[in-house]
Amino acid sequence: MHGKRHAGESEDHGIDLAPMLDFVMNLLIFFIITTSFVREPGVVVNKAEALKVGEQQQGNILIAIRPNGEVWMDRRQVDMREVRPLIERMHLERPEDTVIIIADKKAPSGTLALVMDEVKHGGVKEVAIGAASAAGK
Amino acid sequence: MRLRRHFDMEESTGIDLAPMLDFVMNLLIFFIITAVFVKEVGFQVQRHGGGAGGPSTGKDTGSISVVVKASGDVIVDGRVVDVRAVRPNIVRLHAQQPEWGVMVTAEKMAEAGLLVQVMDQIRQGGVENISFGTSSR
Repeated sequence: MHGKRHAGESEDHGIDLAPMLDFVMNLLIFFIITTSFVREPGVVVNKAEALKVGEQQQGNILIAIRPNGEVWMDRRQVDMREVRPLIERMHLERPEDTVIIIADKKAPSGTLALVMDEVKHGGVKEVAIGAASAAGK
Repeated sequence: MRLRRHFDMEESTGIDLAPMLDFVMNLLIFFIITAVFVKEVGFQVQRHGGGAGGPSTGKDTGSISVVVKASGDVIVDGRVVDVRAVRPNIVRLHAQQPEWGVMVTAEKMAEAGLLVQVMDQIRQGGVENISFGTSSR
């Protein structure tokens, strides 16, 4: 009787969670160090292709320019005058972030230049132009 | 004696890991759903204003001029060339003046796709110091 009760108690404790916890902890650490909180533009653009492109390490703020000149960032369409204050705020929150401007193939270059200026005035000095890698095709 | 042994076994099982596992699991799920594995690729360019100041090559050096017109024409060093011919031209000019950068001037309505192609060609030609600006037209 006593032995049976003991067995029942150990059944109550269930299986040993420690190995599972180790595993989950490892997964957690992996996802923490790979996460980068990218601010997506929220719109799909047809990127221009380039052969020689470099991976942007801290490219976290993405700004998309659509063929008709609309500027999208942070999942909504923004006015050209909104870009600078938004970049300033994001730059304060995470100063190491850099900006990648993804312009559509048909987007006007003038808009691209204006957005670049606004970003630089907003305090982010490293601005890259995004392109699709054509090397694998 | 038996009671004591039972107590010892309890001690060796350690603390209850289940609440900690719940918490860690929640964290894990959070990081999984926020993880973004898309690495944006692109390249960095400098920016020069309308006419004032070329690439940061130095005070007394010039720069190779590349103009991208809205009509789709590409002018390298005063001559209209094909997009695919930009690279050999840049290689030649770069060999003549190795310390010069390239100044890409685009018309405001020029397509960004063409602009990216031209910049890609310049980078393939071995010049990383690209400055980008727009002409007033």
